[in-house]
Amino acid sequence: MPNKKNNQAAIDRIRTQAQAAGVRQIRLFFADVLGASKCIVIPLADLDKALNGQVTFDGGSIDGFVRDQEIDMILRPDPSTFALLPRIDGAVPEGRLICDIAMPDGEPFEGCPRTTLRRILDDAAEILPNLRTGIEVEFYLFDALTDDIPRTDDVASYFDVSVSDRGEMARTAIVNALEDMGIAISAAHHEHAPGQHEIDLSATSVLSAADQLFTLRLVAKSVAARFGIHATFMPKPIENSAGSGLHFYFHWGTDRPQHAEPPSPEPTPPDFPLEPSAYALDEQLDLDAQELQAFLHDRHEEPDECLYGVGGLLAHALACTAICNPLVNSYKRLVTAWDAPVYTVWSQRSANALVRLPNTTGSIKLEMRSPDPACNPYLALGVLVASMVDGFRTKQLPGAALIGNTYELTAEEKIERGIRHLPKSLRQALDELAHDTVIRNALGDHIYHAFHDAKIREYEAYRRAVHPWERKTYLRRY
Amino acid sequence: MVDTATATTTEAVLIFSEELTRIACSGGGIKALATHLAQHIEAAVLVEDAEWRHLALSGATGRTVPASARDLLGKGHTTASGAMHFSLPGNREGIAFPIRAGDSLLGRLSIFPDQTLRETDSAFARLAATSLAIELSREQGGNKNRRKSFWDRLLARAYEDPIEAKDDATSRGITLASGYVAVAIEAEGLDENSATSKHADLRRICLEALRSSSAEIVVVERGSGFVFLCPAPLEVDVANTRTAAGLIPRIASKTLVGAKLVGGVGRYADAIDAARTVEEAREAMFITRRLFGIGRVITHEELGIYPFILRGASSREDWHRLSEHILEKLRSYDAKHQTELIRTLALYFTVGQNVKTAAAELNVHRHTVFYRLRQIAEISGLNLDSPHDQLTLRAAIAIDTLYA
Repeated sequence: MPNKKNNQAAIDRIRTQAQAAGVRQIRLFFADVLGASKCIVIPLADLDKALNGQVTFDGGSIDGFVRDQEIDMILRPDPSTFALLPRIDGAVPEGRLICDIAMPDGEPFEGCPRTTLRRILDDAAEILPNLRTGIEVEFYLFDALTDDIPRTDDVASYFDVSVSDRGEMARTAIVNALEDMGIAISAAHHEHAPGQHEIDLSATSVLSAADQLFTLRLVAKSVAARFGIHATFMPKPIENSAGSGLHFYFHWGTDRPQHAEPPSPEPTPPDFPLEPSAYALDEQLDLDAQELQAFLHDRHEEPDECLYGVGGLLAHALACTAICNPLVNSYKRLVTAWDAPVYTVWSQRSANALVRLPNTTGSIKLEMRSPDPACNPYLALGVLVASMVDGFRTKQLPGAALIGNTYELTAEEKIERGIRHLPKSLRQALDELAHDTVIRNALGDHIYHAFHDAKIREYEAYRRAVHPWERKTYLRRY
Repeated sequence: MVDTATATTTEAVLIFSEELTRIACSGGGIKALATHLAQHIEAAVLVEDAEWRHLALSGATGRTVPASARDLLGKGHTTASGAMHFSLPGNREGIAFPIRAGDSLLGRLSIFPDQTLRETDSAFARLAATSLAIELSREQGGNKNRRKSFWDRLLARAYEDPIEAKDDATSRGITLASGYVAVAIEAEGLDENSATSKHADLRRICLEALRSSSAEIVVVERGSGFVFLCPAPLEVDVANTRTAAGLIPRIASKTLVGAKLVGGVGRYADAIDAARTVEEAREAMFITRRLFGIGRVITHEELGIYPFILRGASSREDWHRLSEHILEKLRSYDAKHQTELIRTLALYFTVGQNVKTAAAELNVHRHTVFYRLRQIAEISGLNLDSPHDQLTLRAAIAIDTLYA
């Protein structure tokens, strides 16, 4: 919590910025347990009140908070999240702050996802120093929704350029809007399916990454609407097209840990593996010597303790699936197609592994590939970080890295390698979550029960519904 | 003044105590102690260990006694002396005494009387529980030796039949895994004054790193080092043991300042063949120390041709097996994907590791050669950048060509 002096400095800085931009209102955003954006608008004049924790709201009105009770809960805006929202058609500019939630007595609210992530990160600070996250988020831009059936005129695929496509124009506008808000974008491109796009957020602190994803979903929908198209982060909107995934890259440490013992002088490998004549020839062919060496030397020499992080992610993957893939629709993406991960497998290169540990120099980089963009970013990042921390604490190892395609694994190979299938439904995932005390403890009792109960209701509603596929397949046959 | 009744009771307790001692000294065991108590107090007596396993039952003739007192005790109440009273059919009350050695609970002695137990009978039962504690402690000490002798026999290759080994292990309370991987670790440079405590720390660090959920890790101490026989029923256990062993020097460096570790890991072996993985672990540690220096733990498989050179392979078959083993993964990849990895590798060595010449010979672009070399490294697990791995691959290719 900032002290009074710092708080006043933050208030002054934000007010100056806001006044310079002509802002008259500030939107105070917060996330509910399911990750939905909630917002209270205050006049700029009340900025002091907000930043001093004097803006309250009825917690009983929010799902997963304190239903059936009238409790005035406190919004605690984080001054570092101040940004100007994208302007829509010449409207008066608005500011934005993202908030934590506190109880009326000022104590942090156990049901606040952002506060929960903060708590998990505090716990992880020693084990995963300087932890940062980069995000790749996939989503669809549809030209129209007719009776909830999406339609796109786009015919492009991976990395295609289609200048006349409204989707491409909208994606560019989304990227520009995010950059205007101070969010660093490392790449953006067309994805595999028609209408599908990807935006990659540069690595930043985990809390900031969660805030950015929370913001991106909002901005994408708002900006796309200006182009008359609909942005959706639904994991699998079209049956026969690729689903939309959300890849988290975790970086920690500053440099790869050095070995405790000095390397033995005797076996020191030569500076360059090839004979001078061959090297000279390749140099003439404009191939850099280091590039050549990297070609041949592209594997870890010795096991690294970061494998404990991988071990933790794999050990808790089944329970994390409930949080990272929270919709009944999420499980239609997690099938053996379009490189979706379905097994608890790690690899250095395999495109459909659950966890990838690409060979990198410098800080450790680890990619988690199963989440989807419908998740609550605070809780998803929280459970993944908690899994890695547990991996380190319990010295959990992940088995051997898989080389090749995970879809080709035989049943026997899966048993021998200790590989498990990710849950095939939200119901299975919730059962796994119920049995994983590490993940439940990371979430805290309040969030666990609120999330679990809401998702059970969602699953039961889905289970009882009669779907078009059933009528088409069964109505005439039976 | 001691009244007559008290003197009589004290005398009875003393006599009973002497009788228990005589039974224990004559090697009567748990069953005899239980029988003596049952006859003395005219009740059924059940003895169970701390895990509720049946040890002895006496005086049950004509009386109804449950298979275990576990469920009854759960509903009973405990007195200050530690005795647990529980209800029996017919408004009767049973009583159970913990059998303890120090703070350790070794078992429970449960009494099922026909009517409410007299106070003196309770005293007799408590004395019997004490004698049983001595008897159970003695047996556990014996068990430790019996367990150790099993591992000694297994590592001395005394068992010819896996079933015989498994049965013997079970009879000694050992859960034998289907396979094992041995890890040998030695520490050098330990300060003499703190060597003993650091040795114990090293043992603990290794056990934490090599932790197993499937069965116990067997520790064989030898001089300044250890051999850990780690259960590895599945491939994933083998992989994790190898990785964990490789991490030990780094983990130990944080707490064992100044200690220089070296180690080796044996290949997977079925339980009956556990001696082999132990020998290989020691062999790998020896080679690692001589060729790669301290601070590393290297697996026997990673050492490629060196174990063969150390042992001096005795036959063509040995060399052929080595070559087949090293090239096995590449060969099966070639067969499955119609690739030319082994041919590329052989040619790469033949032309003096000149990529351009190899590319010309193979009639492919040199980038294709790089791609294949990287595939070879990935599939074989050997590093073409390492002179040690190059030697192994060169030898395997040469043997393969010679014995083709």
